[in-house]
Amino acid sequence: MNFNKVIYGDVTTLDLLAVILIFLVAVILSKGFSIYLRRALKEKVSKDRLQIISKTVYYGILGVAVIASFPLLGINPSGLLVAGGIVGIIIGFASQSIVGNLISGVFLMMERPIKIGNSVRIGEYSGMVEDIRIISTSLRTWDGLYVRIPNEKVFTDSITNYVAHAARRFSYVVGIRYSDDADKAISIIKNLIEDQPLALTNPPPQIFVDSLGDNAVNIIVRTWAPAREWYTLRMELLWKIKKALELEGIEIAFPQRTVWFASEIHTKEIGDTQN
Amino acid sequence: MNLKTDQPSPLPADNQPGQESSPSERPSIYGRHNLPLSISRDELTISIDQSGDTWFYQRECAGDRNEKKLLTPSDTVLINPVEPLNKPKEITSFLMVEFERNLMIEPGVKRKVFVTFPIEIGVFMPSKKGLEVIDIFTLQKQKFTLYGDPRTGVICKYWTSGIHSAEPQTDPLRQGVLRLTVSNAGDHWVELTRAVFNAYGMKLFYSDDMVSMKATMKILGRHMAETDFTNSPLKKDMTNSIELYTARKLAVTVPKFIMELGL
Repeated sequence: MNFNKVIYGDVTTLDLLAVILIFLVAVILSKGFSIYLRRALKEKVSKDRLQIISKTVYYGILGVAVIASFPLLGINPSGLLVAGGIVGIIIGFASQSIVGNLISGVFLMMERPIKIGNSVRIGEYSGMVEDIRIISTSLRTWDGLYVRIPNEKVFTDSITNYVAHAARRFSYVVGIRYSDDADKAISIIKNLIEDQPLALTNPPPQIFVDSLGDNAVNIIVRTWAPAREWYTLRMELLWKIKKALELEGIEIAFPQRTVWFASEIHTKEIGDTQN
Repeated sequence: MNLKTDQPSPLPADNQPGQESSPSERPSIYGRHNLPLSISRDELTISIDQSGDTWFYQRECAGDRNEKKLLTPSDTVLINPVEPLNKPKEITSFLMVEFERNLMIEPGVKRKVFVTFPIEIGVFMPSKKGLEVIDIFTLQKQKFTLYGDPRTGVICKYWTSGIHSAEPQTDPLRQGVLRLTVSNAGDHWVELTRAVFNAYGMKLFYSDDMVSMKATMKILGRHMAETDFTNSPLKKDMTNSIELYTARKLAVTVPKFIMELGL
């Protein structure tokens, strides 16, 4: 095989083989290096930062390989800048949505309203952010479904980040009977929350009689928990409150109605009727 | 997690296989132990027994139970206090010690006080690549709190302590002694209600009767202070603990903590 055979301009078969070799080495190097970084920094760096670092390294090495192969392919990098600009405008007009997604992706990465691993709601989708790419963002919904959302939609939709702040509050309404001691119930709930490690000491929990309802004295229970752990506590606490109250003879009220009759009503026990 | 350490062996093996001491002369559980092992304290039992080619690890601590089989040729185990930030879940690297009474300090004054901190205990197995933590437990009640507001604050492990002028007597399985050197570099009297520390700087030391740390708190203003740990024991005969966070620390990790959300 003649390696010096000219393919176009000054580019020979050997140059093409060299470019392929450079790319192969670059791909192997970038994959190997990014895997090594993921393993080495797994326990030392947060998941979202680790993704950014490994992606930067991966695409950085590939980028260097691309630039290094330009002279072999007879491309002048300075001329490419001008050509790239013109091509960019053409591509931009031709594929506005892709460019829109790309620009939105860049802004999302700069503004960082969400990070990989965050629990979020974007528009109609709720779940955990799996990946933030340059064109799209992927979520794993609470049902375990994969959802890919174009970045333009992410950027323009409303985003609720459940873990953006360190702590969050949740509340319950506990309705007890009118015959029960509300002060005692409040004290029981306070002690119970005090024993929960994930219920934060500060901001302090709020437990008070919120309203005198039709069927119950409504006690509101507001507790702060670490944003990433609040649901664990929320799942456990209500049933513990119910059990602790019942242990002390305080019962959760249920709807009931007292009916007064205008005239006296003669009633018989069912047993009498049957006899 | 695999922990590499250049530290010398913390203590000679202080128990013989299967040996159990009477309660009156019970040695500390901290240090290196030969296997099989059996330790029993008030609310704590640890046993590691051989079962064929494997070791069977059992631990019960205040109602919390952990059992596992260990496939290792090693016949020693190391037990020592670790940073008190792992139980019930590792959700923060900050420890807040709230003072039972507020502490006021005059400008330009530097004083040493003693506070307590909660103890968590780590069980490590040596391997060719270092030490592997196989269990962490605590006899203390766990609680978390928020330092600052929900938007800018940080979650901290929570502990309350009195302020002592001398080392308080503590049960080394439950509480450690922290010597805090407080200095007020500002121009005003400052009232302290708490101290927040970063686990990445913690340096724990232990002996038979005490677990200790040394820390400094430099007051930089009425609402700002910097806390840091000192890598030296409180007493001469103390042994350096194998810490968990120190092993994870990157060169860029800052072990100090700036308390800028209130003192």
